[in-house]
Amino acid sequence: MMLNPVLLIAIPLGLAFISVIFSKVKAWFLVVGTIACSVLVFFVESGETAIGGFRLPFAISLVVDDYTMIAVATVNILLLAVLAVSYKKASAYSTVLLAGLAGLNGMVMTGDLFNLFVFMEITAISAYIISSEGKKPEKSFNYLVIGSIGSVLYLLGLILLYGIAGTLNMAEMSEMIPGLTATAVILPVFLIFLGISVEAKLLPMSGWVRGVLGNSNSFTGPILATVYSSAALFVFGRLFSQILVMEKAISTVIVIIALITFISGQAAAFRSRSIRKVLLFSSIAQAGLAAALFVTGFVFPAVLVIVNNAIGKFVMFATAGRLDEEYGTDDYIGLRGAFCSNIVAGSAFTISALSITGIPLLFGFYAKLNVLAAYLNQGTYFVPAVILAGTVIEAAYFIRIIIRLWAPGREGEQADASESVGARKIFSFTEGMAVVIAALLIILSGILPDSAGKLIGGEKGLLGDEGPVISMTSMKGDSE
Amino acid sequence: MIKFTSLLLIAIGLYGILSTRNVIRILVGINIMEIGINIFIVAMGYVSDGAAPILSVDSPGSLLKYVDPVAQALVLTSIVIGLGITALGLVFARRIHSKYGTYDLDSIGGDS
Repeated sequence: MMLNPVLLIAIPLGLAFISVIFSKVKAWFLVVGTIACSVLVFFVESGETAIGGFRLPFAISLVVDDYTMIAVATVNILLLAVLAVSYKKASAYSTVLLAGLAGLNGMVMTGDLFNLFVFMEITAISAYIISSEGKKPEKSFNYLVIGSIGSVLYLLGLILLYGIAGTLNMAEMSEMIPGLTATAVILPVFLIFLGISVEAKLLPMSGWVRGVLGNSNSFTGPILATVYSSAALFVFGRLFSQILVMEKAISTVIVIIALITFISGQAAAFRSRSIRKVLLFSSIAQAGLAAALFVTGFVFPAVLVIVNNAIGKFVMFATAGRLDEEYGTDDYIGLRGAFCSNIVAGSAFTISALSITGIPLLFGFYAKLNVLAAYLNQGTYFVPAVILAGTVIEAAYFIRIIIRLWAPGREGEQADASESVGARKIFSFTEGMAVVIAALLIILSGILPDSAGKLIGGEKGLLGDEGPVISMTSMKGDSE
Repeated sequence: MIKFTSLLLIAIGLYGILSTRNVIRILVGINIMEIGINIFIVAMGYVSDGAAPILSVDSPGSLLKYVDPVAQALVLTSIVIGLGITALGLVFARRIHSKYGTYDLDSIGGDS
């Protein structure tokens, strides 16, 4: 039996309200709601579901296709993983997280532009509240101000589009956009781009990230950097690869902005010494890469980048947050040799870092190969060059951190455990399990990239007609 | 005319946010922006000499004589969201004040 997708919004939202009344057991509602949603995701009915008893272009609709399926699954399962890693901290925010989950599921599934605004605001409000866990109210306030400016810009763009096209339904809008003159649409599209770049962490609006994620812990880091920003990127992809498809001249401008985000993120990460700062700037860079791919129309590689980054950053932010809580610093020089006493967590961190960089036999390699092949097949050489340059910087800063955290000694000398910062367990068994499973997933999907690609691409695939599939088996065939 | 006035309000709000470092004034700026955008949305759906979008005995014959009800529905939602954001912003302002004893972001300093 297939379920109505509205359940994915209604269940967490309902539980959020109930959890206010029964506040003593609110953590249970959070656990039940998250597990229920993670399971139900696989049973929702695909297609466009109208809500409220109206007929389709007039009703608010929820769209479930291959693209939203992978988005909703990623968001729900990642939230479950974050709960496993930081249950104690997360349970204090049960109501907020449940409302946030309703917003997240809503924003990736909705088929209505204004409804998207409402869900984005619900999500954003829960994100502001979660960010206040960092005990720096001025950073949360900064986030709220930038978020509010973004939402006003989004609303302005949306209402201008409504004035031009006369509809808010995404499917109807995507049919009307090609018929409209580009000069009329360019302003609303840029306003919507600016509005959505706040949560997606793209350049002009990503100023809040440093304050919020730089003070994150093992709960706020993973949740804001993986769950929330993946959802925002999936929404960005839906809008800019399917609905607001622009002429090449206009989309090139957005691609350039996204690539500047990518390179400046990598450069800022290289300059930072705090692990969390490195991670957050790297997240900004990955967001820029995904956005550039979406705007060019390469949906499948972009989804691979988002999923790879989400799994990797989940492990890394959780580890970095725990390191900071245990050792009181996340400066990688001050943490020399910290992984010697945390071999499992250290291995998971290393695998994730290498996967995000794109080392072979890990999932990230498959993602990066697809990204580069997409551009090279199209005959573009400038963008792959930029991506490769960024990857070199990325490899440099990740390997620098990894070496410091594994080897306490000086270069060229044999390391001694006594030189390390001290043995402390950073993860309990259950917390460690979630991180290990995520790392195993990266290895497994790296060894079997074709199955992983099929799983992410869906039955029909996100590729469309001419999208590139780098199949490992076909590559073998080519060389023979 | 009213559209331009509302865009001016948005600009005033944005200027207010960017030009002050006082938490409360920034929140006032956000509110001015939101009022501006709300007026803009209503103005977008306005039809001069239009009737209220309710079917009744003496309603006009042509559908084009009605004011657009969608814009009004959007504004209601947008106002409620704006209220929520303002309330949360005031909570953060209160926390900033109880932690640092000031509403001025400049004198908090120590930005890292």
